[in-house]
Amino acid sequence: MNYTLRIAGQDIPVQADFTDEGTITATISGRSLIAHYRVISANQIHLDVDGAGVNAYLTDNQEGKLINVGGITYLVQDADALAQAGPRRRGLKELPQEVTPPMPSVVVRIMVAEGNEVEKGQGVVVVSAMKMETTLQAPFKGRVLKINVAEGEKVMPGQILVDIEKEEEKKDAG
Amino acid sequence: MTMFDKILIANRGEIAVRIIATCREMGIKTVAVYSEADRDALHVLEADQAVCLGPSEPVESYLNMDKIIAAAKQTGAHAIHPGYGFLAENPLFAQRCEQEGVVFIGPPAQAIRDLGDKTHARRTMIKSGVPVIPGMMQPETDPHVLAREAGQIGYPVLIKAAAGGGGKGMRVVRQPGDFSDACVSAAREAKSAFGNGDIYLEKYIDKPRHVEFQVLADSHGNVIHLLERECSIQRRHQKIIEETPSPALTPTLRDKMGKAAVAAAKAAGYVNAGTVEFLLDQDGSFYFLEVNTRLQVEHPITEMITGIDLVRQQIEIAAGNQLMLSQADIVGRGHAIECRIYAEDPLSAFLPSSGKIHFVKEPRGPGIRNDSGIYSGFTVPVEYDPILSKLIVHAQNRQDCIRRMIRALKDYVILGVLTPIPFLVDILSNEAFIKGETYTDFIEAHFAQWQPLIQGIDLVALAYVVDAVANRRRPTAVAQSDAEAFSPWLTLGNFRP
Repeated sequence: MNYTLRIAGQDIPVQADFTDEGTITATISGRSLIAHYRVISANQIHLDVDGAGVNAYLTDNQEGKLINVGGITYLVQDADALAQAGPRRRGLKELPQEVTPPMPSVVVRIMVAEGNEVEKGQGVVVVSAMKMETTLQAPFKGRVLKINVAEGEKVMPGQILVDIEKEEEKKDAG
Repeated sequence: MTMFDKILIANRGEIAVRIIATCREMGIKTVAVYSEADRDALHVLEADQAVCLGPSEPVESYLNMDKIIAAAKQTGAHAIHPGYGFLAENPLFAQRCEQEGVVFIGPPAQAIRDLGDKTHARRTMIKSGVPVIPGMMQPETDPHVLAREAGQIGYPVLIKAAAGGGGKGMRVVRQPGDFSDACVSAAREAKSAFGNGDIYLEKYIDKPRHVEFQVLADSHGNVIHLLERECSIQRRHQKIIEETPSPALTPTLRDKMGKAAVAAAKAAGYVNAGTVEFLLDQDGSFYFLEVNTRLQVEHPITEMITGIDLVRQQIEIAAGNQLMLSQADIVGRGHAIECRIYAEDPLSAFLPSSGKIHFVKEPRGPGIRNDSGIYSGFTVPVEYDPILSKLIVHAQNRQDCIRRMIRALKDYVILGVLTPIPFLVDILSNEAFIKGETYTDFIEAHFAQWQPLIQGIDLVALAYVVDAVANRRRPTAVAQSDAEAFSPWLTLGNFRP
């Protein structure tokens, strides 16, 4: 079987065959190896590569698998599956173009009113998470159409807090 | 010897769990208080009783004096342990407890008040012969007076804003020629930040070490110190690694500073556990900085080298009992280091990382202690300080201790939120750290643009494939709770108050 795995910003080609019980033969980025494996639990796999034993701890999250080997946790994604999923999913990559928090937060202060003209980069909403305040900025010059939240409200990434109409062109709502 | 029947812990997370542990060992019943976000938190699960304070915002819960005192009365708790942070150093709270007949496990309200006022604390120390940072007592606007004071203090001098901190209105001046311009600029910045342009001067300590001494004082006049802690590895004034003993202290210096710490506590009429902080200059001069009138986050490293349970001592003192320890009983053995494990992403400017913890595997072995507030399945709330646990390690000497901590950090697996564990490993492996060159500018000097070393990716890729194909023990569909957490359309309703 073939995979392209995205790990730490690199796309790694993997070709693997499961031969005997508990054995995997793989070519990873052109390097071949044979490993014996044992599934220890839902979150742990023991690997034996060239006589060296290694434990891998794993779980799934929204974006792929979280895998810890040797004390470092990596997010590992199936690059082929990601390419298929494509722009259909509203994801964190779209955030900079919208007024939305980077993480679950609480609205502390709304700095503009409906009808205000704003400049690109102007502070629009202050949100707070874990005692840290972040000021969300207007992604472009325009006019505040609608304020969708109130002070004290809990907000999530992807949620549009303030609708801003871009100057000189209509922006799709939401 | 009297002892409390029941204690309420007015805190959360790892410190609440740690306090509950000592109470249980002493046969004291425990009451936990919690906000709605902490309904399933570890401290709630470990306590004998738990009282819900209300909504998650600290002002509605952990900072709400009325609710906390009501919870103590409702459950019949005779004493309250405030932990650290929240209400631990709030003199009003200590006073309220006194008024309501509940014992506050900490110093008297007046001591908290006096030591919380920096200028008052300085005056107290000067009167008692504790060395303080040479500087001005009052703010000044006359440039001639300022220049004269600067000359008396001796360059380099630090210009500070009287009305606030955080670096605003601060300037370091090394040459007399730069002085008057720096004053004008500092005053202007202070005025704009705090509405008040008043400035004052202090001696600037180049490359200081931050060394603090633990003290214990009972209500019978006995005061001792329990040696020092070095806390110089800090990021944006937040401590991340602490150790004891300090690589910079000789036995003579330790003795001098320890005596000064005891003198400071006595001068302030201190009772219970506290910490006297000093700045240590490269020439061995030390200067009083402040007294922290609470149990500190890093107290476990002192416990490891002395073998003394500080929370137990706090409870005994609060119950009116005399200290059973004399200064001669305090002996430090070996070396201890603590690493604070925060839910933070070291690659995104240490932005807090929240979410559900899917899996935790804690390090174990000789000399390993993990004071933790998390477990597999717990969702880290966004409303509070993101400290997940403190990893503490004890060994025979500093080099062994560093190796033990690195091994323990690599064995500490937390999946679900990001932590700076690889960053901590790199700090401990750094040559300057190993040599003990731990000045307060350590992070800026050596780790300003840290990137982890990526290695062993092949094994990670292998693990992925094996898991995808061969692991039947975990359903590979994305957990429902995670999907809901990221879709605003499904969850907006859940978050309406």
